[in-house]
Amino acid sequence: MEVLIILFPFIAFLLIGLFGRRLGDLPSAIIAVLGSALSFLFSIPALLKALNSPFSVKLYDFISLGSYTLTLGLYFDPLSAITTSLVCLVSTMIFIYSIGYMENLFGQWTYKFYAYLSFFLFSMLLIVLSDNLLGMFFGWEGVGLASYLLIGYFHQQKYATNSALEAFVMNRIGDWLFLFGIFSIFYLFGNLNLLDIFSKVKEIDPNLLGLAVLLLFGGAVGKSGQVPLHTWLPNAMAGPTPVSALLHSSTMVAAGVYMVARLYPVFESAPQGLKVVALIGGLTALFASLAATSHTDIKKIIAFSTMSQLGLMFLALGIGDKNSAMFHLTTHAFFKALLFLSAGSIIHAFHHHARDIYEVGGLRKYMPITYATFFVGALALAGIFPFAGFWSKDLIIASSYEASFSLGVFVSFVSFLTAYYIFREGFVMFYGPERHKGHFEEEPHEAPSVMLVPMVVLAIGSAVVGFFEGWYMDALKEHKEMHLNIAISSVAIALLGIGLAYLVFVKRFLDPEKLYQSLKPVHTTFREQFFTERLYHKILAGGYMLYSKVLYATFERQFIDGVVNSSYAVSSALGSLFKGLQQGRVNLYILFLLVGFSLLVLITFLGGR
Amino acid sequence: MKIVPLEAYLILSLLLFGLGVFGMIVRRNLVAVLMSTELALNAVNVAFVGADSHLGLVDGQIFALFIIALAAVEAAVGLGIIVAIFRLRKVESSDELTDMGG
Repeated sequence: MEVLIILFPFIAFLLIGLFGRRLGDLPSAIIAVLGSALSFLFSIPALLKALNSPFSVKLYDFISLGSYTLTLGLYFDPLSAITTSLVCLVSTMIFIYSIGYMENLFGQWTYKFYAYLSFFLFSMLLIVLSDNLLGMFFGWEGVGLASYLLIGYFHQQKYATNSALEAFVMNRIGDWLFLFGIFSIFYLFGNLNLLDIFSKVKEIDPNLLGLAVLLLFGGAVGKSGQVPLHTWLPNAMAGPTPVSALLHSSTMVAAGVYMVARLYPVFESAPQGLKVVALIGGLTALFASLAATSHTDIKKIIAFSTMSQLGLMFLALGIGDKNSAMFHLTTHAFFKALLFLSAGSIIHAFHHHARDIYEVGGLRKYMPITYATFFVGALALAGIFPFAGFWSKDLIIASSYEASFSLGVFVSFVSFLTAYYIFREGFVMFYGPERHKGHFEEEPHEAPSVMLVPMVVLAIGSAVVGFFEGWYMDALKEHKEMHLNIAISSVAIALLGIGLAYLVFVKRFLDPEKLYQSLKPVHTTFREQFFTERLYHKILAGGYMLYSKVLYATFERQFIDGVVNSSYAVSSALGSLFKGLQQGRVNLYILFLLVGFSLLVLITFLGGR
Repeated sequence: MKIVPLEAYLILSLLLFGLGVFGMIVRRNLVAVLMSTELALNAVNVAFVGADSHLGLVDGQIFALFIIALAAVEAAVGLGIIVAIFRLRKVESSDELTDMGG
């Protein structure tokens, strides 16, 4: 019964992949939506059952190796069941939205898009529900493949294919580490089943475990776009907006955080490993929010915001607050999907030509619903009471103040930046002069209702899901006190960020242009992500190209080609040498026959002795 | 009846075979080459028959008969080819027939 949750998207993928061309694009889209919606429906009874008591569903024996049998199965506990419902709900909304967003491409084999989306969802559910590390790895790879296909969906554009390739390569580095992490877990525990690992985790040497944990975390770094494997994440915006929303809310990047939370007992037993998790997370949170403050691409700002929020989740995981991290992942899925869908609505309004926030402006009166949903998402992201982000982010801020005061200040600073950059984007796009008149001929228009309904549903979710905090923490068997002073101060900090953005970009208290001119070097540094991307491209990719060119010029051209060319000279010399024997004289041939036969006889006699 | 020893047969056979091969190598006249071939074949016949009389069997003699028949056929075909070549090229020396040379 529960296995159907994971099978519905797969069946949808097979149906669309095999018959999509005959079915047409709209029916394919409807099948994808149905597959996702049915998964959501079936996940609810499983969730209710898992809340009472965790249970496993055995699927089949995958490999039996003598004494050890690797069984593939599903494991439902509150963590995985809630995440499953969340993933299915958000994906369903995004799938519905994509019908409107991709409509102008219908008739151009868009069914492929829905096949990829369904496969994406299936892979993610496999990661979430799998009861052993190998099954998780299958999903992990499937997600990587689907993201590659979807980021490069506009494969006529060079930029999109390059971005897809970059995402794949960066993920591959992470996957490689993850795979070695799985090997080391198997070496240490002799088992890949999660429950068996958890029960034996106390018996293992923490130092060895720390190594395994670091390798596993390497996989999460790649998948969740953390420093230093982050460059693919902003570039992944080359894909269609529903893909960005899916990638950044519930499927792809959430996988890294979820994996760490899923294996948390293992991580907990290796405190040194957790410190690395916290360090990388904190670094990414700051790094990405600084990049977001100065970028001007509509979607990339939100992408950097995702990186930063994921960094906060890793920070929370690293300082031992798993449940807050997972709750933030849950609320983040709602408002990040919402922000992306709203941004997609703007891009859709300009027929997919708008890319930069400074190409549009004053959209408030043209697109009132998009305006409202975007600001609900932005308020939730900034962490304003009573929106979803407030509840979850507050937990993280509270536990970082508990860990140490300076860490708390750090997280508060990141939330200040968060509030600033997301409202900067909102104010530039929805207020101010109508800049789009110079760039685009057509008037912007509100999105069709097939796009608006998912946006509104997600907006309601972003507004109310925070109130489920108590229920969520109950489900994960933890109670945390709300710290009123921290809640008030974090809201105040967020309001400060919003206020700064308001003063600069709406009231023009400080002229953004002048500010830009005076802070240009800083701005460029942030915008270029501290030049990491260029560094990778120039040093790593460029160095590799140089290395290949040198090898081509020396080894390939000189050595290999030299051997091939000289083989001609050698064989021609040998040929002219032996040509003398082939004169066509019958008598000589008989002599050779005699000599050869005599030699054979001689060898036979000598050998026979 | 005085029995001829096996060694005598074999030595005769060896001499004849050697002469035949020698002739095949040194003679340029095609007819002479063919005759040398016959000599070599018959050297083998001698060896077969000698071995038979020593062992008291008949298998070698049957072989010898086969070889004689085969030699006759070979002589007929070989002579035919030589005559055809002579008619075509007006040559009878193997030195002048080196068209198959490399």
